[in-house]
Amino acid sequence: MSLLQARDISVMFGGLHALNRVSFDVAPGEIVALIGPNGAGKTTMFNCLSGFQAIETGEIHFDGARLDRLAPHRVAALGIARTFQTSRVFKRMTVREHLLVGRHRHQRTGLLSALRRARWVAAEERDVEAYGLATLALFEDRLLPRVDDFAESLSYANRRRLEIARALVAEPKLLLLDEPTAGMNPHESAGIASLIRTIRDQGITVLLIEHDMKVVMGVSDRVVVLDHGEKIADGEPAALRTNERVIEAYLGRRQARA
Amino acid sequence: MTPLYAFVPSARNRRVWVPVLAGAAAVPLVVRSEYVLNVAVLAGIYIILASSLNVTNGYTGLFSFGHAAFYGIGAYTAALLATRLAAPFWLTFPAAGLAAAAVGSAIAVPTLRLRGIFLALVTIGFQEITFLVTMNWMSLTRGPLGIPRIPPPALPGISFRSNVAYYYLILVLDIAVLFALTRIMTSRIGRTLIAIREDELAAQSCAVPVFRYKVLAFGLATFFAGLAGAFFAHHARFVSADSFRLDETFVILTMLIVGGMGSLVGPVIGAVALVIIPEAFRFFAEYRGVVYGLILIGVILFRPHGIAGVPGIIQPRGAARAPAPPHKPEPALDVASTPESAR
Repeated sequence: MSLLQARDISVMFGGLHALNRVSFDVAPGEIVALIGPNGAGKTTMFNCLSGFQAIETGEIHFDGARLDRLAPHRVAALGIARTFQTSRVFKRMTVREHLLVGRHRHQRTGLLSALRRARWVAAEERDVEAYGLATLALFEDRLLPRVDDFAESLSYANRRRLEIARALVAEPKLLLLDEPTAGMNPHESAGIASLIRTIRDQGITVLLIEHDMKVVMGVSDRVVVLDHGEKIADGEPAALRTNERVIEAYLGRRQARA
Repeated sequence: MTPLYAFVPSARNRRVWVPVLAGAAAVPLVVRSEYVLNVAVLAGIYIILASSLNVTNGYTGLFSFGHAAFYGIGAYTAALLATRLAAPFWLTFPAAGLAAAAVGSAIAVPTLRLRGIFLALVTIGFQEITFLVTMNWMSLTRGPLGIPRIPPPALPGISFRSNVAYYYLILVLDIAVLFALTRIMTSRIGRTLIAIREDELAAQSCAVPVFRYKVLAFGLATFFAGLAGAFFAHHARFVSADSFRLDETFVILTMLIVGGMGSLVGPVIGAVALVIIPEAFRFFAEYRGVVYGLILIGVILFRPHGIAGVPGIIQPRGAARAPAPPHKPEPALDVASTPESAR
C-alpha cells in the first residue's frame, strides 16, 4: 500500500503542459528522488502535492485521504511538510521561533488560553521548544549555536538547513525537499545526504527534487524522471544510467549530433 | 543587551519598567495643570490606538488605513448606549470594543483577499464610508450635530470632575491593554502572525490557516480601537464624525511609524512623543501639520524602522532582496515565488 498516489496529474500554464498526465507512487519509508532538466515540472509537481497549485486532471491520494483541492495548510495538517527551492525562512524570526512555528499543528494554545497563560500553555511551549532543540541536534553544530539569531543573519546553507528543521518539527509522514543541496559545496551536500537517510530511519518518507547526481544515486531507493512535463522513467537509480530516454533528456539525441 | 524593539516586561527587567510606571503614576502628583493632564490623557488614548494598529500593520504586515473608523465606531457605540439606554461605563466600554471588532472582522473577511496597496485602498474606502454614514444617518447619529451630554464614567467611589481621575483611568486601561497585547503577541498567536508577515506561503506550509489568523489580527486591532473610542466618548463627553476621519487614521499611523512597528514599546513611544511634541509647537498652531510631516519624513529617511521598531518591516526598495540562489531557478513554474512582490 503506497503512502502517496499521484494519478494522471496535469497542469497547464497558458497552453503549455507543465505536467501532462504524470502518475507515480511513493511507498512508506521510501526515499524517492524526482529529477529532470530545468523546466521539467518538478517544482510544479511539488506545488501540486502541497496544495499550492491546482491540478487540471487527476487525483492525489495521501494516507487514505484525497488531497488535491485542499488548501496548503490543510495538506500540511495531513502530514506533508515541504521546503522551498528558493529558501523561504522567516527572516526576522529567530531559529528558535522557526521551530515553534513549524510545530504549529501540534499546539492548541488559542487566544483565551494565551491571555490566561494557563499552566498547560507554558508546559506546551516548553515541550515544543524541547522538541525543536532535539531536532536541531540532527544538524550537529550548524544551527544549535545560532538558536537565538535572526534567520536573515544565517548563511545560505544554514537557511536551507533551517527550512528542513522547520519542516521536520511538524513530524510529517511525508517530507518534500526541493533541491536541499542547492548552493552547497560537496562536503555540505554529503552532510545533507546522510541527514536524509537519518530522517528516513526515523520513519519519515522522503520525496526530493535534486540536481546533484551524487546525492540522488547515494540516497534514493527509486528515481522518477520528468522531462517537459511527462514522466519518462521510474525505477532504481542504477537502471537510469542506461535508460535511453533519460540520457536523451539530459544530453540530447545521439542521432542529432551525427 | 536586548535591543529596544525586543523589550518585553518581565520580572527580570523590572528595573527598567517599574520606574517608568511609577513615574507615570506620579504625574498628577507633580502636575496640577488641567491642560497638561488633558494632554497626558490624550497620549493615553493614542497609546491604545497606535498599539492596536500595530497588531495588523506591524506584527501581521497587513496595511490597514481605516483605524480611525473603528475608533469612531467604538466611540459612537459607547455614546449611544450611554445617552439612549443610560448604560454604565463598565458596560459601554466592552460593548464598544465588541462592536468595533464585529464590524472589523466582517470587513476583514472580504477585503483580506487583497494585499499590500490594494488592502490599503479598500480600508481607506471603508474609512470614508463610515464617515458618510455617521454624517447622514440622522436618526441614529444625529449627523453633523454629533452626540452631546455623554455622562462621565460612573465608577464607585471615583469622581470624574477633574482630569486626575481620567488620567488614572486611562493609565489602568493602558496597562491592561498592553498587558493583554504582550501576552497575545508573545504566545503562539503572535508568533503565527509574525510568521505570516514574514512569509505567508511558508506559514501555510507549516499548517497555519493564514486567512483565519489575518481575520483574528483585524478583530484584535479593531477591538482595542473600539475600547479607545469608548474612553474618548466618556472623556470628551461629545462625539461627532469629524473626530474619526482619515486624517485621524494618519495621526495614529504616523505615531506607529515614528515609534516603530512590530515591537511592544514602539507605538507607546510614538504616541507619547507625537502628542507632546506638537503641543510644544502650539505657538504656530496652523503649522502643526507641518511639524508632524517633517517628523514623519525625517524618520522615514533616517531611521525607517522608527525609534523602537523591528528593523526591516519598512525597507527601502532593493534592500529587501533575498540572496539569489546560486543555482539556476525555474521562475516560470515556481508559483511559490510570485506573490511576495505584492508586499
